[in-house]
Amino acid sequence: VSSQQFSALTEVLFRFLMEPKEVERFLTQLSDFATMNKISLGPLKNIVKSILLVPNGALKRNLSPEQVRADFIALGLSEEKASYFAEQWKVNSPTLTRLAVGQTLMINQLIDMEWRFGVTAGSSELEKVGSIFLQLKLVLKKGSQTENVYMELTLPQFYSFLHEMERVKTSLESFS
Amino acid sequence: QLVSALHSLTRHVMYRSLTRAEDILALFPENFHQNLKNLLTKIILENISAWRSEAQASQISLPRLVDMDWRVDIKTSSDSISRMAVPTCLLQLKIQEDVALCGNNPVVSALTVELSKETLDTMLEGLGRIRDQLSAVANK
Repeated sequence: VSSQQFSALTEVLFRFLMEPKEVERFLTQLSDFATMNKISLGPLKNIVKSILLVPNGALKRNLSPEQVRADFIALGLSEEKASYFAEQWKVNSPTLTRLAVGQTLMINQLIDMEWRFGVTAGSSELEKVGSIFLQLKLVLKKGSQTENVYMELTLPQFYSFLHEMERVKTSLESFS
Repeated sequence: QLVSALHSLTRHVMYRSLTRAEDILALFPENFHQNLKNLLTKIILENISAWRSEAQASQISLPRLVDMDWRVDIKTSSDSISRMAVPTCLLQLKIQEDVALCGNNPVVSALTVELSKETLDTMLEGLGRIRDQLSAVANK
């Protein structure tokens, strides 16, 4: 495989790593590559599989670019190609790391919040009431589904909720 | 029959928010016993605000927040990445189901929600806007 072909292939690989959901596109690009360079798709897929193991392992173990390069050389890749890949790795690793962190397990993740004020005007017991409630809707991610949670807060509760959330923010910031 | 009549009377007073003795006295029929009328009115007036608060507390509502707790964790590793230091917030909300439905056995459930720093910032922005809207209404 020439170095030009290798860079093209590397580009395809990294694009896939950045957007792991674009499987279709990745496979299409791979077969285009195979046809253009007159390589058969089967062996190419196997090679790509082994190549992809390296960046994934590197992410898991937080490897430096030099270590990635060494891994590739150990796999039998030429020095030039390994260095090229390691360079690409260095450039892309912040994004890839962020993606991996983003995939980390989150329990009942809050994804959205909506609110409205209600003024209770009357009820079956009291003709005229006039009390204010804050009504919140929290959208949670449970596995692959979302769940809506509705609740009411009185105004004093709202103010202490706001106060507590500001304390959480201070705490989170001190750890970042 | 007596209890039922008393019940209707008190409910009516509450519903109309009658707070003056004259208004309540006016409800009784013409030839009603004078002292009894005054005694009943006095008792009703004494209890009216307590009854009113209770009615408000037990009116139908969305589930109500009764308590909240939080803690901040630092995620240090996961199956996809072995070393990281990502702070995250766990918020526990204790929510009581509609009081009117539960009667004397309130059902309180605990919901634990996780928020990333970005989510928390967005949430605080939203809460700040609520506070501004509240001040605008209060100052009108």
